[in-house]
Order: sequence, then C-alpha cells, then structure tokens
Amino acid sequence: MSTSLEMKKIQKWYGGLHVVRDFDLYVDPGEFVTFLGPSGSGKTTALKMIAGFEQPTGGDIMLGSRSIVDVPPYERGIGMVFQNYALFPHMTVAENVAFPLKVRSVAKAETEQKVRRALDLVKMGEYRDRFPNQLSGGQQQRIALARAIVFDPSLLLMDEPLGALDRNLREHMKIEIMRIQKELNMTVVFVTHDQDEALVMSDRIAVINEGRLVQVADSNNLYYNPKNRFVASFVGESNLLPCRVDQIDNGAGKVTIGDREPGVARLNGQSRGDSGWLFVRPEHIDISPRGANTDVGNVLNGVVESALFLGELTRYVVRCGNESITVKQQNRGQAQFANGSPVSVSWNMGNSTVLN
Amino acid sequence: MTTLLAKRKVAGAPVVNVSRSRNPLNGLLARRWVRGTIIATPILVLLVGFLVIPLSIVLWGSVEGSKLTFSHYARIFSDETNLSVMLQTLKVGFTVTLLSLVTAYPVAYLLTQIESRALSIVTLFILVPLFTAFLIRTYAWMIILGREGPINNTLIWLGLISEPLPLLNTTFGVIVGMVHVLLPMAIFTMYSSMVHIDHNTARAAQILGAKPVQAFLRVYFPLSLPAVFSAGILIFIIAIGFYITPALLGGPRDAMITQLIVTQMTTLLNFELSFASSIVLLLMTIAILFFASLFIPLEMIWSSSSLDNTNRHGRSQYKLFINAKRAIHPALTAVENLMHFITKPFLSRRARWLWAYTILVLLFLTAPLIVVFMLSFSSSSFVVFPPPGISLQWWVKLLHASDWHESFLFSVKLGAVSAIFATIIGTMGAFWLVRTTLPIKRALFLFSLSPLMVPVIVIATALYMFEARIHLLGSFAGLVVGHVLLSVPYVVVIMAAALRGFDQSLETAAAIHGARPIQVLRLVTLPLLKPALLTAALLAFLTSFDELLVTMFMIGRQTLTLPFKFWNDIKYELNPLLSAASAFVVLLVTAAILTTLWIKVRHDRRTSASNGQ
Repeated sequence: MSTSLEMKKIQKWYGGLHVVRDFDLYVDPGEFVTFLGPSGSGKTTALKMIAGFEQPTGGDIMLGSRSIVDVPPYERGIGMVFQNYALFPHMTVAENVAFPLKVRSVAKAETEQKVRRALDLVKMGEYRDRFPNQLSGGQQQRIALARAIVFDPSLLLMDEPLGALDRNLREHMKIEIMRIQKELNMTVVFVTHDQDEALVMSDRIAVINEGRLVQVADSNNLYYNPKNRFVASFVGESNLLPCRVDQIDNGAGKVTIGDREPGVARLNGQSRGDSGWLFVRPEHIDISPRGANTDVGNVLNGVVESALFLGELTRYVVRCGNESITVKQQNRGQAQFANGSPVSVSWNMGNSTVLN
Repeated sequence: MTTLLAKRKVAGAPVVNVSRSRNPLNGLLARRWVRGTIIATPILVLLVGFLVIPLSIVLWGSVEGSKLTFSHYARIFSDETNLSVMLQTLKVGFTVTLLSLVTAYPVAYLLTQIESRALSIVTLFILVPLFTAFLIRTYAWMIILGREGPINNTLIWLGLISEPLPLLNTTFGVIVGMVHVLLPMAIFTMYSSMVHIDHNTARAAQILGAKPVQAFLRVYFPLSLPAVFSAGILIFIIAIGFYITPALLGGPRDAMITQLIVTQMTTLLNFELSFASSIVLLLMTIAILFFASLFIPLEMIWSSSSLDNTNRHGRSQYKLFINAKRAIHPALTAVENLMHFITKPFLSRRARWLWAYTILVLLFLTAPLIVVFMLSFSSSSFVVFPPPGISLQWWVKLLHASDWHESFLFSVKLGAVSAIFATIIGTMGAFWLVRTTLPIKRALFLFSLSPLMVPVIVIATALYMFEARIHLLGSFAGLVVGHVLLSVPYVVVIMAAALRGFDQSLETAAAIHGARPIQVLRLVTLPLLKPALLTAALLAFLTSFDELLVTMFMIGRQTLTLPFKFWNDIKYELNPLLSAASAFVVLLVTAAILTTLWIKVRHDRRTSASNGQ
C-alpha cells in the first residue's frame, strides 16, 4: 500500500530525441501525485519507465528502498489502470480481478476473499460472472481498478484512466478513485492532460512540458502561484499581459503594462528593467462602468468586446489598447455590460504576478 | 475498511514478490533478439531446408550440374508436343481465370452488401465446396459430364440432341471442372479486399448526378480493380499448376505442363527434362508474380488485410491507364449511356437480380456434391444418374471396406500430425513476422508465403529428389514435411492477420500485474488467439487431407492416403462406393467447418467490442 517512489535524475532518449529530462521527484508513501502535461510532453513515457515498459537512459528509480530500474515489470509489484482499461476479454470479471493473484500462485481461498473485497470496494460485486464486453465503460473502469489493487500493490499507476468516459461518469469516477485511494492509503501516480482532474484529485501536481518537470506543487499553489507562463496558461484560465518592470519597491514592482498603462504586481525574482508577463486570473478582475472610483493598484480602461452570460457568471472579453482581457464576474444581480460598453477593469496587486 | 486488503508486507515490498526467485530462462527471454531467434528458427529451417535447397537441386539438375548444358530447355521449346502442352497450359489457365473472375465478381459484390446472417449462410455454401477435396469435385464432374450423365440425359429427354455429346475428355470438361474448383477461391479473394471499399463512395457519386451505371463503372469498379487483379493472379498461378482436373476430365490433347512433368518423372524416368520443365513452370510463375508486383503489393494476393495499406507504389503505372482512358472517353460515355438505358428497368430491384444470379452460382457450386450424395444411395451397381432406386448398399459396403478405413485413418493421422506441426511452426513464424522490427519485414513475409507461389508439382519434384538424397523418401516423416510445407503459409496468413488486430496493451497489463512472459503467453495471448489458431489448424488439416501430388511422390510403400486411394479407384473404374466415401468426407468437412464457425462466433461475441457497450 504505501511505499515511497523516488525518481532520481531520470533521462530518456529516443534516438536523438530527449523526451524526459532530469526528472527528480519524491513521492511520499500514500501520496497522490499527478503528472499533468500536454500530449507529447513525456508524461506517459515517465509512467512507462516507472512501470518498467521502458528503460530509462539515465538515472534511477527507487520503490521504497529498492532500485527497480533493472527489475522486469512483472516483478515490480505495481498496479496499473490503463487508458483503454486493457481488461482481458476472454475472462470474466472475477477472473480478471483474480489474474494478479493467479500468476503469483496465491491460494484459492485467499484469492477468492481478496477478489470479493476488491470488487466490493469498487461496488461491482454482483457483476463478477459477466464478461467485460457486457459492461459499460464506467463499469469496465471499476474492474480495471479492482484488478490493479487486488494484490496490495506498493504503487498504483493510472494512465489517463478517465479519458474514455463521458463527462458525468468522469466526475463520479474522480470521487470514487479518491475515496478508494484514501481508504487503502495508496501511493498513486496519475497521468492526465486534464487540469480539472489534476486539481481535484491530487495531493501534488507535477506539471510537465517538453520532457521537463516545470513545477511540482499542490493544487492551490499551482493555481495561484504558477511558476512561469506555461503553468499559468496550462492550469486554469489566465490573462497574461506583456509588461516591463520599472521600479522595485519592497517585493512589489511598479510595471508598465502593454506600452503605456501603469500597474503594480508581485515580482517573481525579476529585477528592474526586465520584461515579463503580468499574470492575473479572470475571476480576480472587477469590471465597472468607465470612471467609477476604484482604489486598487491596477486600472485599465477598455471596451466590452464580447459578453457571454453563463448563468452563475458572465464572461467578458474587454479590449484595452492592444490587449484583450478576460473577466469572469459572479452574477449576483448586478447590471450586465453590453457589447461596446466603455468599462474599466481593475485588480489588486496581490492577485497579479510578473512571470517570465 | 482501512485494513481492507490484508497488510502482509515487509519493508515496503509485497510478500508475494519475495518468494519468487529470478528464473534465468525468463531473464534470457526478456532479450528481444533471443525471443526473435527462437520463434523464427522453425519456419526458416523448414523453408530453407525443404524448399530453397531442394529447388536449387532441381535447378542444378536441370542443367546437369557443372556441365551447364541447356539442352533440356532447348528440347522443351523445340519439341512440338512439349511446346503445344505449354501453349495449352497457358490457354486453359487464361480461360479459366477469366471465366472465374467474371462469374465470381457479382457474387463477391453481393457479399459486400448483405448483412451478417445472410452472409454467413452464403459463405457456408461457398466454404463447403472450397474445402471439399479437388478429387471429389472432379469425380462428380466425371459423372455429370459423362455419356450417361445428367446433362446428356436431360438434353436427350428434351429432344435437343439425339445422341450424347462428348463432354468428358474435352477441353470444355477441363475448363468447367477447373472453374468449379477455383470459383470459391476467386469469390473469397475478391470479397476479402472488396469488403473494405466503402459503398458510400458510389452513393456519393449518385447524389452528385452519376447514373447508377456510371457510379459503378467510374467509382466502385476502379476501386475494386486491385481485388480483381490479385484474384486473377492467384487463380492463374494455381490453374497452370493444376494436375488432377485436366488429368481426369481432359483428353490426351488437353495435357498440361504438370502432366508432362509427372509422366517424365514417373514413367519415362527422364529426370533432367522434368527438372527443366519444372523450372520453366516456376519461371512462368515468377514472371507473372513480378508483373503483378508492378501494380499491387504481392502479399495482397494471399492476405488482403496484411501489412499497412500505405500506397508505396509509384503512380507511373497508372499514367498509362489514364491516357488510355482519356482516349476512349467518348466511346466510354456512349457505352455508359447505352448500358444505363438497358439496365434502368432492372436496377430498381438490383439486389434481387444479384441474388438470383448468386443462387445460380451457388447451385453450380453445390450441384456436384448433391449428385455425389444422391449416387451414394443408388440401388444400381453402376454409376447412373438419376439412380434407379434407393438403397443403403454402398454405405454398408463402405462400412466393411477395410482398405478404405485404413486409408481414412492414415489420412486423418497424417493430417493431424501435419496440422499440429504446421500450426506451431506457422504461429511462431507469424509472431516473429508481425513483431519483428527488422527492416526487411515485408520481404520476409513474402518469403514465408513462398510455398504458395511455387506450383505444387515443382515442390513435389524438388522434395522427391531432395528426400531421396537424405533418405527420408517413403517415410512418414518425409510425407509430413511435404504437407507441413504446403500448409504453413496458410497458418502464417491467418495468424499474422489475427496478431495485427491483437491489442498489445493486454499483454502489458498482464506483465505489470505480475505475469511472467510464459504466463502472459499461456493465460492471455494464446487464449485470445484461440479462434484464429483453430481456423489455421483446420485449414492446415484440410490442406493435408486433400493433398495428392506431393503424396504421390513421397508416399513410398506406406498405406495410401484417402485422396490417393480415390485417385487410384477413379482411374480404375467409377463406382458408387466412391460416391459413398465422397459423401462421407463432405459430411465430415461440413461438420468441421460448422464447428469452427460456431466456436469463432461464440468467442467473438464474448470478446468483441470490449471497450464499452
């Protein structure tokens, strides 16, 4: 159940292609870590190296205190849920779940007991004699999960397991997987390109881009304190406005947004004269009629370019000079702005950061 | 619930893993090239040892070894009889190919359109004749075409002719018999590639304003041309290597090159000349295949679903076509309009016309078997059709004919042993061919099909000489080698297709959940390939069960196989006992096919569409 996983300076080359670079990551026992990245970023390759389907070109992988780089997949004792489930179509549900125990020659009575527990855990006990093609996608998903945990693996890997499910089912399975992970206190490495899955489920998220770990942080930190422009744009929606640091003042910087508007933002290690991107989330921006009094640090005048009423909130795109700024405003009965209305958008210094 | 799964753990590593020691065998098997070598060896040994080397011996012998004389080749082409045999071979081959293609095309077209239940019924009607021994079908035609056969009797009864037409022992007889034998093959070969053509393309043409005839001629037909072409090549190659049918249905002037080789080999003992003839036949085949390879990927002839469908062929060959087409375009349009005018009244019910035609073809295919069946219940002691009365006497006789029993049992034994070896060797070969990363993959695949490309008579002569040298001739093992060689390509084709459709993530899933390579094979891969294995084994068995030519050369003094027994008896006299024996074999074959189909359907129903509803 809970074993730590450590990746030390993992490298992977495919011919001349460096697909995984300098992976350094320690996963605590019982921790749920998600590899989040666009397709082709190397996250699946990283997972395959943990599973043993790919050999790292350099570095070491430790499962607990044991190096597993030279151990074949079938001796690693890892459970895995595949994207297409990979259930054995010629075996019943119970036989599928019993498979990891069968190949380990576990005694019959014990197998039976463990299979029943695993099936009960995923709430599929009554389907034990069905064949996989008689189950819906969500049910197959549960069986795949049961099969992966039935033998008390030291680590559970999940390769985009929710990708093939429809939206409602996906929401439901997210919660189920979290419940089971907590119940078994299992170490999980979860791979996805879906930021919602990552934010909801993970203890920590490892954002991967172009083979590199860009940022490893919990959901909150990742969302509010992205380390660079890639993370900011990949996780959640954000406004990134080109800016230049004019003056540094107690950790905060006076900046020029675009080519003329003044503003203030937290700095992320930049020094005076550096240019960067001013990052601010759409929900942190207020929108008001032009000229209304605001005393926050950043105020830009613009014109509403589009307004989408989404029920709980309205999503505005406001054009300010060369920049388009997205604003999400909670609807609490206030007036809506029509297309073409002159408005001011404003936000607090604390909600914006200069990123490289 | 937190202790849900028993925590039996030592320092983070699961207990279940600790007990297992590292097996050195598994370590070795983990290396890719080691696995590759192991599974590639049997098929390579078989093909090189028992095809390439024997063929080289024949080639070497045909020029009298180091003497390098081409006198035997000169004799083939200077001798008028020999030359006319050659021409006759090509003429018959060409006619048979053309007739088979034209007859088969509408059936194949219909098969691509009908839903699965009708499809399986029609398929069964074609499969049973396909897998019934050539000999039995030829025997049936001897009866039907005979002086007092049903055709002549009917024509006389109708008053159209006053005395029986000579149908047997004519070129006509040969062609009818051969078309009957090759028609099922033509239908299946064309169907298997035509089924991939989207009928919506023709529908799109119609909605864009093409008349039905135009839509067919300009869209569907051109798309189906590669299928027709590959079927034509296949049939031509088989036809020019035919032995049984021309020998039994043809007259002395209908001799084909195969008969020439057999006569020279067995009665005239003129080995060098027969070698030279074999090489000529082989060269003709190679030339045809080379010609075919200019237009289509060769492997398409034997397995439509093989390899990736990337069109790696230059378009230059098609330029010729296009220019020719442009030149005749006005004529083409006129013909189209004429055809449209003629076919318009029928086309609204086109499917029914196709059905009527298909049923006629199915009748043609099954009628001989029905004749054989009815004759087996004849009360007469001669072969007369229709039988004068019903009796079980021939079945009773068959029950007590110990020579037939021995032949039957020997054939079953031979077939079973050959099928087992062929399935094992072919399956290993298919694994290697599909999963190897060697760049010459495609060439290797074609090489594994080479026993299908070499005419059987050439394989027979070559193996005969080779096995005589290594003292294998006349032994059971020698016979098995011949039969395995002939059936291995079928196994390779079937297993390769199955493996290409195999979801390899199942194997990865098994491995990560603890299955060692051998366990993956035993618990996941092989069970999933079961229907394909069964089909391959059945096909290998039937290939051996039907085989005559190689057997004739290799059998020595062993018990006669069933086809050989048939052959001897047919040549001696036609009697209804043969019908009873044939009918029995047909029943067995049908039962075997039905069982295989049933197992396959059951397996598919269980395992197909494993992702989702």
